[in-house]
Amino acid sequence: MERSGAERRERQEASCPHCGIAVEGPEDAFCCRGCEMAWAIIRGAGLERYYEERTELPPRPEPLRERWDSVEAERRSDGTCEVRLAVDGLRCASCVWVTENVLERTEGIEDATVSYATGRATIRWDPERIGLGEVAGRIASLGYRPRLLGNEARPDRTLLTRLGVAAFAAANVMMFSAAIYAGWLGSMETAYVELFRWASLALATPVAVYSASPFFEGAWTGLRHRVLHMDVPIAIAIGVLYVQGLAGTLAGFDTYLDSLTMLVTLLLAGRVLESGGRRRAAEAAVTLAATVPATARRIVGDTLEVVASESLLPGDRIAVGAGEDLPADGVVVSGRGALQRALLTGESAPVTIEEGDEVWAGTVLLDGAVTVEVSVAVEGTVIQQMAEQLRQAADRGTKPSSTDRIAPWFTAATLVIAAVTFAVWLPVAGSARALTTTIAVLIVACPCALALSKPLTAAAGLGAAARRGLLFRSADALLETADIDTIALDKTGTVTEGAVEIVAASDRDLRVAAGLERYSRHPIAVAIVREAIARGVPLPAAEGVREEAGSGIEGHVDGTFWRLRSGGSDVVVLEGPEGYRGLIRIGDRIREDSLAAVAALQALGQRVVLLSGDDADPTRRIADAIRAAEAWPAQTPAEKAKRIEGWREAGHSVLFAGDGMNDGPALAAADVGVAMGTGAASSILTADAVLGVGSIAPIAAGVRVSRVCRGAIRANQVRSVVYNVVAVSAAAAGMVNPLVAAVLMPLSSAMVLAGAARVERRVRARERS
Amino acid sequence: MIAITFLIPIAVGIALVFLILFLAAVRAGQFDDLDDPAERILHDD
Repeated sequence: MERSGAERRERQEASCPHCGIAVEGPEDAFCCRGCEMAWAIIRGAGLERYYEERTELPPRPEPLRERWDSVEAERRSDGTCEVRLAVDGLRCASCVWVTENVLERTEGIEDATVSYATGRATIRWDPERIGLGEVAGRIASLGYRPRLLGNEARPDRTLLTRLGVAAFAAANVMMFSAAIYAGWLGSMETAYVELFRWASLALATPVAVYSASPFFEGAWTGLRHRVLHMDVPIAIAIGVLYVQGLAGTLAGFDTYLDSLTMLVTLLLAGRVLESGGRRRAAEAAVTLAATVPATARRIVGDTLEVVASESLLPGDRIAVGAGEDLPADGVVVSGRGALQRALLTGESAPVTIEEGDEVWAGTVLLDGAVTVEVSVAVEGTVIQQMAEQLRQAADRGTKPSSTDRIAPWFTAATLVIAAVTFAVWLPVAGSARALTTTIAVLIVACPCALALSKPLTAAAGLGAAARRGLLFRSADALLETADIDTIALDKTGTVTEGAVEIVAASDRDLRVAAGLERYSRHPIAVAIVREAIARGVPLPAAEGVREEAGSGIEGHVDGTFWRLRSGGSDVVVLEGPEGYRGLIRIGDRIREDSLAAVAALQALGQRVVLLSGDDADPTRRIADAIRAAEAWPAQTPAEKAKRIEGWREAGHSVLFAGDGMNDGPALAAADVGVAMGTGAASSILTADAVLGVGSIAPIAAGVRVSRVCRGAIRANQVRSVVYNVVAVSAAAAGMVNPLVAAVLMPLSSAMVLAGAARVERRVRARERS
Repeated sequence: MIAITFLIPIAVGIALVFLILFLAAVRAGQFDDLDDPAERILHDD
């Protein structure tokens, strides 16, 4: 931070002992109460070492807005609860150290581990002695932000066990088979050949019965639902391989058990890779949406009584104070204040409410105090209806992938060729030869390469997209992105920063304003203080500060009286002595890279459209600034969804990116919904992909990765069909024996593996061109 | 050649030991988190 100006140097300057921000005042002045508390907690836990060892300054503590006590935590057998949280703001190893230790020294917390690499905390506590709300509050009071994790897939240990068993068997069976094949050259005594066959059978049995069971289960589930997907031909091949092996070992002819174990190993390895990629994407953290508070203060005669929000009836009058969430939809009957409606509209700028104005459950009264007459019961509130829409949207099914679409043809063709082979060979060479040839056909036709193609390529693609900042939730979402031709963007919080920003102000005005607003939670106040910190303007001490609900703040700085008041939607006026008037311009700033991101998308042939809940003027202005093809202002959440459905019906494939809870329906309606990782929990839960950084630039990268993956899968499909045609023809001609199969089949899988390994390189090549 | 009858069980037995070790590692959760332990060593206690 650079400080300039002789005037400023004269004042006494210090830096906040906790967060290090420049503050005017005595040596040990804190910049805010949050920092003072964090400092007290760390000192209290005997962890002062943190201040000497840290290499990065921590973020300023902010109070938690979410209600954590209703969160269901996993109960363990010993009565303790365990939860895994994402923790934002961990900037260095010391942050991790101090968080972990403060938690561990908190009464009631049994165990806490914080991971720097993943930004995750695992906490085990005794619910009798401490609530999750307090635990989360503890993390927040240190300046870090706890967030609940979405549905996080636990690593699948069974799958690894199956793979281990299969790989163990494959390695050994291959050795035995090599001995048998070598025996073809010389003369091996039948007794030894039989020994090798029995040993192979013994090892292949657990593979067929245990390791391969997911394929049999998958095939069976598919058949029961009358779907022929990829597991069906695989299960047929594995089944035939094993039965042939059993018969061959008993009757004394060559078996394909080495191919069986190798196939199952490769297929399981593909599944393990796929689940790894999927897990990484599913770990996108979600913030708990601020929901309707559990209790409300109802006015009865001259007194207040605390009642459950659900019991509120139309006509009831409730009191809402500064900093509280509205428990119900209603109309203001008295008082005034500033209301933040971000949860419903996505717009973060607060609006002033007065008598006669409508308010909604889930919005936040930032300052002031109001009396509200409830207009509908809790079930009828706007926020409840929105939650219901989201639930319905989340239930929609997924489209079958192209690999699954060709599976029925594949199976049918294999069965027909097998039948024809049997029919042709039967009269020529007798039933025994006809049967071995037919079995060979069924075995080599195993679409192993085809089945591996999607998981392997998608795993590579999910990784490539994640490295570029876009986390896809599933392989299907990744592959679908290749078809997208229309990109619809939400305005606030997606194209723009979403928070109130200072657009223009002099350092001098900013200093005074920051002094007045230092302790306020109002978004404009937060923006002013943040801007002052960013410019390195020290925060002065203010005296006699008085905040007036919905209109302004006043107090003394440097012994002079100042008043800060709203001057319209985009300006704050600072009034000082002798009629001084300073203007601080505020606005929602466009993200720095939004223009470049839109240009990149247009270069990929995308039509970029802006869908906003905001008024026509600002929407038009932003649309022009990012050169979007179209702009649709004043869209309600339902209208956004409807418009997207309209485009889809017209034959377009639509990707929608948004950040608020109000974007949930649109995210669900789009072919691919992309949520901002910094956005509302509900939007992240409905989305197919999450942007890890606060930028829409990774969308273009995602489209590119998706196209590369799609191409790689197409190429693999062609290759494996060619392989199958060749191999099946050879088998039908009676030219395939166990050795040929053992070489051919893994070879086709290796081809697919090579294709998947090239994904990252191809994406880079496309980025350069 | 009779040695083969002993060698096969020995070879499979050795492989089995490794399989059991692998399964024990899986069960102990060694493969649950492949990224974090590498970073953990960087901060003391």
